[in-house]
Amino acid sequence: MKKYIITLILIFLTGYLTNLSAQTKDECFNCHSAIGGEQASQFSNDVHFKAGLSCSDCHGGNSKSDDMEAAMNKTAGFKGVPKGNDISETCAKCHASADKMKSFGANIPTDQFELLKTSVHGKLSTNGKDRIIQCINCHGAHGIVKVTDRRSPVYPLNVPKTCAKCHSNAVFMRNYNPKLPIDQYEKYRTSVHGILNAKGDPKPAQCASCHGSHGILETTNLNSSVYAVNIPETCSNCHSNKEYMKKYNIPTNQYENYSQSVHGIALLQKKDTGAPACNSCHGNHAATPPGISSISKVCGTCHALNAELFASSPHKDAFDKANYPECETCHSNHLIITATDKLLGVSKDAVCSKCHTPEKNSEGYKVAKNMKSLIDSLESSEKYAKELIDEAEQKGMEVEDEKFKLRDANQAILEAKTAVHAFNEKKFDDVVVGKGLKVTEAVKNDAKAAIDDYYFRRKGLGVALLVTILLAIGLYLFIKRLEKRQNNS
Amino acid sequence: MKNSIQNIYKWIDDRLQIKVLVEYMGKKYVPVHRHSIWYYFGGVSLFFFIIQVITGILLLFYYKGSSDLAFESVKFIMSKVQFGWLIRSIHGWAANLFILSIFIHMFSVYFEKAYRYPRELTWLSGVLMFFMALGFGFSGYLLPWNELSFFATRVGSDIFGVVPIIGEPLREFIRGGSDVTGATLSRLFGFHVALFPGIFTVLLGIHLILIQRQGISEPLHYNKEEKKERKKMPFFPNFMLRDLLLWLIVLNLLAILAVYFPAELGHKADPFSSAPAGIKPEWYFLFMFQSLKYLPAHILFVDGEVVGILLFGIAGLLWLLVPFWDRKSSRGEHNKLINYLGIFAVMFIIILTILGWTS
Repeated sequence: MKKYIITLILIFLTGYLTNLSAQTKDECFNCHSAIGGEQASQFSNDVHFKAGLSCSDCHGGNSKSDDMEAAMNKTAGFKGVPKGNDISETCAKCHASADKMKSFGANIPTDQFELLKTSVHGKLSTNGKDRIIQCINCHGAHGIVKVTDRRSPVYPLNVPKTCAKCHSNAVFMRNYNPKLPIDQYEKYRTSVHGILNAKGDPKPAQCASCHGSHGILETTNLNSSVYAVNIPETCSNCHSNKEYMKKYNIPTNQYENYSQSVHGIALLQKKDTGAPACNSCHGNHAATPPGISSISKVCGTCHALNAELFASSPHKDAFDKANYPECETCHSNHLIITATDKLLGVSKDAVCSKCHTPEKNSEGYKVAKNMKSLIDSLESSEKYAKELIDEAEQKGMEVEDEKFKLRDANQAILEAKTAVHAFNEKKFDDVVVGKGLKVTEAVKNDAKAAIDDYYFRRKGLGVALLVTILLAIGLYLFIKRLEKRQNNS
Repeated sequence: MKNSIQNIYKWIDDRLQIKVLVEYMGKKYVPVHRHSIWYYFGGVSLFFFIIQVITGILLLFYYKGSSDLAFESVKFIMSKVQFGWLIRSIHGWAANLFILSIFIHMFSVYFEKAYRYPRELTWLSGVLMFFMALGFGFSGYLLPWNELSFFATRVGSDIFGVVPIIGEPLREFIRGGSDVTGATLSRLFGFHVALFPGIFTVLLGIHLILIQRQGISEPLHYNKEEKKERKKMPFFPNFMLRDLLLWLIVLNLLAILAVYFPAELGHKADPFSSAPAGIKPEWYFLFMFQSLKYLPAHILFVDGEVVGILLFGIAGLLWLLVPFWDRKSSRGEHNKLINYLGIFAVMFIIILTILGWTS
């Protein structure tokens, strides 16, 4: 019994002392705590509460008065629960002021509100008055903790879920952008980034790492960090950082290689947004390296014919068995250079010779050698045809049709470069000889005929001049004789 | 051989009495003096016209007068038709030489005062043919439907629009609409191959009949010489054979130009593209084009270009009517003013053409 009484006294004392310690000079907080208000309870853990801010700093009113009438009087500036844009503007009163933030000892940026206003989230919401997103939608209202605090909804591990609250909500998203997918969160969880994130690693990329936080722009905006041309640099922020990537044990030269590749030059230098960026091959939200057997499918999203021909070629099975990464085996991955004819054949530079030699895989060696010889013939024949056309044109002959026809030869060269992926000599021959060389021969004959015609014209002129001059001389002599005869008579 | 030819001649003469015609022509004489050389330019102009008619008909076999097909058909003529390039090149060069030859012929007639009584109608028909030759040049220039011809026609037809009162309707009539389009091509094609040749042939017929009827004009100084001292040659066969000799030489010149400087094809006209820089009309319009460029924007509250067009109009009218206001020459007196005006006109045309060409 005695023990029971002592325990009761201790519980009472603990409760009293705890209550006593929670007592502050903020009468709003005191009163709302006393009535068991949830917001007051959350606010006791809030970073703002700890910095000495009062409820009235956001809600207005007189926090020093314990008289409810006086404290929540509108003449004392009480505004109750801020609504719509008023929410973010209330936060911005301090967060957009460097001086105020300094006075709280906080060393964080003060441009969040400005960024929010220009961001995609800063556009007008369906009510036509307020912005789509206010600060509290991501950061919460009364229990705001530091971004580095694991409990924060904007802590890296929690960001995907916070964004998904809206972005995975089809009903909500269709109000603003019905065509925008809502499976980003699901995909993200299957990505390398998402898996590590779920395991509690805050370093791998989450939504804000690529899209930014307060100033998120639409992907079609040239200034967006995920605009096609900017994607490689965005990825390289982490992937080219040796220190940052150290623990993952993967290369950090992808950006360097990519920027020298045919794709990188097209995208980064020529600003061709049709050229692939990192996400084109690796995916964006579900970013992961493609599996060995699916590389040709990934490349085939653009290089469709090449991929189709490769899939039906003898190399498909051979590569799969040898665990060779399909396209990458010959073309490399990030450092894909322009595919020239040098890749084909059995010379030192040719990729075929890596596996095919006169001794080893000799059938392929012969095919590669023949294919190279055929494409070389077509290219030199096309070049010679072009020279003949130029010569004829310089001589003033009309060769527009031949120039037009020669485009078919050029097309055949391009087709041959695709047909090579079937690794089938017959199919290759059909393109090079059946299409290309047939055209170049016809063009050469026409151009030669035009050049011959040029010389024929000059010879013809010579003959015509000779005839007319002889006629003129004959006529002149006839006139002279006639006039002499007339004078004599 | 000689007998067979004589038999054929006799066969024809029995039916057509050619001998009468030959005798008539044999009685006609051409004065021989230090300016006789200019007499030949009438014949040379006629020769070029005959060439134009023949080559024009040959081109018509393949040419298609629509904006969709005109350029392609000319390309076909140049590259696929046997000697098509030669026919087109001769047509192009002969057109230029035709106008040059008419210029020379017209000015030589002017300086010789050959327009004076009783040859006023010969002069009128000749000057009208000269205007028609310019019309041939303007209408034919658009027919290849290439970039240069398209924009030059647009600039050229714009100038018509400047003429007061009738300018706008005239431009609409020439263009067949508000801008140069396929309708303009069809219209100018019609003028070039049907309307103009028809009128020109009638004028040419009148011109030649008048020359045969009135004979070759004798210069004023020739008439003052003693009758015995006046040299002359029979029109047939002497003058005609000399004419024929010159035609052969001119034909050679034409062949050399056509082979060494064939007509260009250019790029197909694109009405939506911007006009190429420095677009100019053909050389025979250049002096007028350049003169208009030098005129100030306004002359006494009137648009400078309007003043220019009106001045050229008045000058053209005075030129056409010169036999009617130069009464002195008709009386057989020397008229120095006519010479000065002629020299001024020649110098003006040459200088402005050079300036236009080099600008």
